[in-house]
Amino acid sequence: MAEGFNTEDMLDMYLFENGQLLEQLQETVLEQKDADCFDEDSINEIFRTMHTIKGSSGIMMFDDIMKVSHKLEDVFYYLRESHPENVPHLELVEHVLEVEDFISGEMEKIRNGDPVDGDSSELIARLDKFLNKIKHGAVKEGKELPPENVHVEPKQFYIAPVATSDSRFYRITIQFCQDTQMANVHAYKIVYALKEVAEDLLYSPEDIISDEESGEVILKEGFRILLQAQCGPDEVHNLIGEGYAIEKVDVLECTADEFISGFNFDEHETQIDLESSVEVIEARAQNAVEGTNEEAEKKDKTKIAPGDFVIKSKEPGKQKKLARDKPKGEKASFISVNVSKMDQLMELIGELVISEQVVLQSSDLKIPGLNLDNFNKAAAQLSKISTDLQNVIMSMRMVPLTNTFQKMNRIVFDVSRKLGKDIEFEMVGEQTEVDKNIIEHISDPLMHLVRNAVDHGIETNEERKESGKTGKGKVTLSARTEAGKVWICVEDNGKGLDREKILAKARKKGLLDGSRAESTYSDKEIYQFITLPGFSTNEQVTEYSGRGVGMDVVVQNIQAIGGMLDIDSTPGMGSIMSLKIPLTLAIIDGIVIETGKSSFVLETGVIKEFVRVKEDMMIHEPDGGEYVMIRGECFPVLRLGEWYGMAECEGTIEDGMMVIVEVEDKKVCLFVDKLVGKQEIVVKPIPSYIKKVKGLSGCTQLGDGSIALILDPGGLTG
Amino acid sequence: MSETGELMKQAEGDMVLSDEHEEQKGKYMTFKSGNEYFGLKIQHVNEIIQIQTITEVPETENYIKGLINLRGKVIPVIDVRLRFRQEPLEYNDRTCIIVVNVKSTMVGLIVEKIAEVVEIKEENILPPPSIGRTDRIERKYVYGIGKVGDSVKLLLDPDRLLNDDELSAADQQTADIIAE
Repeated sequence: MAEGFNTEDMLDMYLFENGQLLEQLQETVLEQKDADCFDEDSINEIFRTMHTIKGSSGIMMFDDIMKVSHKLEDVFYYLRESHPENVPHLELVEHVLEVEDFISGEMEKIRNGDPVDGDSSELIARLDKFLNKIKHGAVKEGKELPPENVHVEPKQFYIAPVATSDSRFYRITIQFCQDTQMANVHAYKIVYALKEVAEDLLYSPEDIISDEESGEVILKEGFRILLQAQCGPDEVHNLIGEGYAIEKVDVLECTADEFISGFNFDEHETQIDLESSVEVIEARAQNAVEGTNEEAEKKDKTKIAPGDFVIKSKEPGKQKKLARDKPKGEKASFISVNVSKMDQLMELIGELVISEQVVLQSSDLKIPGLNLDNFNKAAAQLSKISTDLQNVIMSMRMVPLTNTFQKMNRIVFDVSRKLGKDIEFEMVGEQTEVDKNIIEHISDPLMHLVRNAVDHGIETNEERKESGKTGKGKVTLSARTEAGKVWICVEDNGKGLDREKILAKARKKGLLDGSRAESTYSDKEIYQFITLPGFSTNEQVTEYSGRGVGMDVVVQNIQAIGGMLDIDSTPGMGSIMSLKIPLTLAIIDGIVIETGKSSFVLETGVIKEFVRVKEDMMIHEPDGGEYVMIRGECFPVLRLGEWYGMAECEGTIEDGMMVIVEVEDKKVCLFVDKLVGKQEIVVKPIPSYIKKVKGLSGCTQLGDGSIALILDPGGLTG
Repeated sequence: MSETGELMKQAEGDMVLSDEHEEQKGKYMTFKSGNEYFGLKIQHVNEIIQIQTITEVPETENYIKGLINLRGKVIPVIDVRLRFRQEPLEYNDRTCIIVVNVKSTMVGLIVEKIAEVVEIKEENILPPPSIGRTDRIERKYVYGIGKVGDSVKLLLDPDRLLNDDELSAADQQTADIIAE
């Protein structure tokens, strides 16, 4: 039965699961950071999370993580059991986040294969201090302390997620027939059956899966189980069953404290029992009388000589309840897939789309006189399926921004606390979905922007008062989709950017164009200066920002994925930093155009319309500039052939085609020879061997196998 | 045509044969450009293909002819004659593209005619003459002169042929663009 545990797999699982737990934990904590205290559910959730992490870290032998999570679990155990008042909530939030940071840090080390050397003692000491503090607070108010949480770790092998007041606790002893082979396997079968209903489950001997000698121990001493569940003893019995190997089963109901004290309990039964019963009375006044009586009864029964078959009768009045309200199947509908496999699938589908075009546009089909009815039908069906396929793979890669935004929440919290600013954080549209690759690229830039907003954007509390601002400082992070692009805005209601200050700095750095009067710079142009390397107007460099290395990196990262940064600001009212990023990088809809002997592709989204114009609609400037009047609107004309100095392109306006392209409110008429058609294209980078050409963003393969260049409208209009 | 085809087969056969490093040692793929024969170490040569449709890329050096589609991979091609500042020659059915892989960059070299695969022993390779004509452009990428019987082959350093100052210039430009 000994399963060959692959430690690497287990480690992966450990990191993955705990990573998710921590993320969820942080979310819960931040959600309630502004409340007065945690509500019941979150206390339970944090407690459970820590319990799980403690257990799994114990198994994986990461002692420091185990100790820290154990300590925090203690704190929350106390909170859960005695509901103390006057808990300094923010301090608690900080402690939880500290623990989360510590564990995440250690897990990062594990992930990178570094030695896990984080020292938890300081953190534990602080948590101890905090725990004492809230306990003493409680004592002063005349409350009794609840019993200490005395779990001994690592004993838990299975921890189910829910624990409610309806739970009942059982001590189960199973004796197997002496001639049973592999008693540990039988024991495991029972454990497995009990997991169905268990909220918490402990068993001894512990290592029944891989240690075959445990079988003999079981035969000798019996197999002991501690079970927490909501069902009655009958059901427990049914689950255990009466297999041929089982000689006798004892199912005893016990109290929570007996349950917690574990197996060691047996030896000094009566004494501790009395004590714990008293404690139970104090901690849970409502159950007190009934509890002791029951306890006493039970104790009597445990004294019955071994070998007697004892089954507790079903208690009246208590309804059987299944432990889990949710059916098990729901969770299984998610699987995690390696990203590289997804990328491979994506690439293959890209290739498939191209080969589909190659087949459907094959020159063999153009022979006159062919009857293609059936072919066309089949082709239409094929196209439909491949389009669906693309949509599915695209949607698989789409991830909501929620996680990224949550991280920002944390940053605002940390930075504002450290700077002593009172800042509110609002998220809008965090459900917006973006391609996973893109999310990876925007996380860092976004962090910079949010930090900047908190650090530079929002004034200190005093400054706010002075300038007569009422209310808290506020940072809003919003996301929305518009015209195939995602807009992510970081908005603050702080002091805004100082035009004069930036201008002065730019002058000092020699960034101004000498031939232009300073007053001719628009606000936006001036704000763009702050994105240049080494530009920081903040006199004081703080821990978080002000070294001037931030904004230029932000802009570089955003540009790398074809995005833009737009800065807007109103003095005294705040600033808005808007990131505009493409939804996806992979397959786009394009229009193929031809100029000279070359084919180009334009993204469909930017094309406003196609027009054929007459010579008399053209306006020629003396210095060579050209404009065209279309329906009373004047557009600058860009002849693609001339722009790239190509031979053999169309010269007469009447014979070519005008494509009106709109990028960021700028409209340009592209003059091209002819339109070829619409096609879905897979964007490929131009090999790095060829230096970057202005106005080209990549290349793609066309239906006939030839290569077309993808035009970057931003580069053409800019 | 058949001649070219045969040479290609021979070359490819050699390449298959020469999977082991030992086999490849001292073997050179030779081709004709202008009046001279040039040699490339066979390790650098990925494959040889017929000339095919080239998509021009505007605003590049004249010898960069554009991009080709090699079974779904987009690779740039350069015209070796133009790179050597020789007169351009109309492409015909003898024109071939030698696909080389240098430091994981795939580039196609358009050559007017491929010759054969020859073995040149270490002792038959001389350093290029250092006196006079140092200004000649070939000096940069010819690292040796190999003697094969009566004829000589100019041995090319593909890294220099492709990258040299051109790429650093391109890098500089990219850097400039970013800096802007």
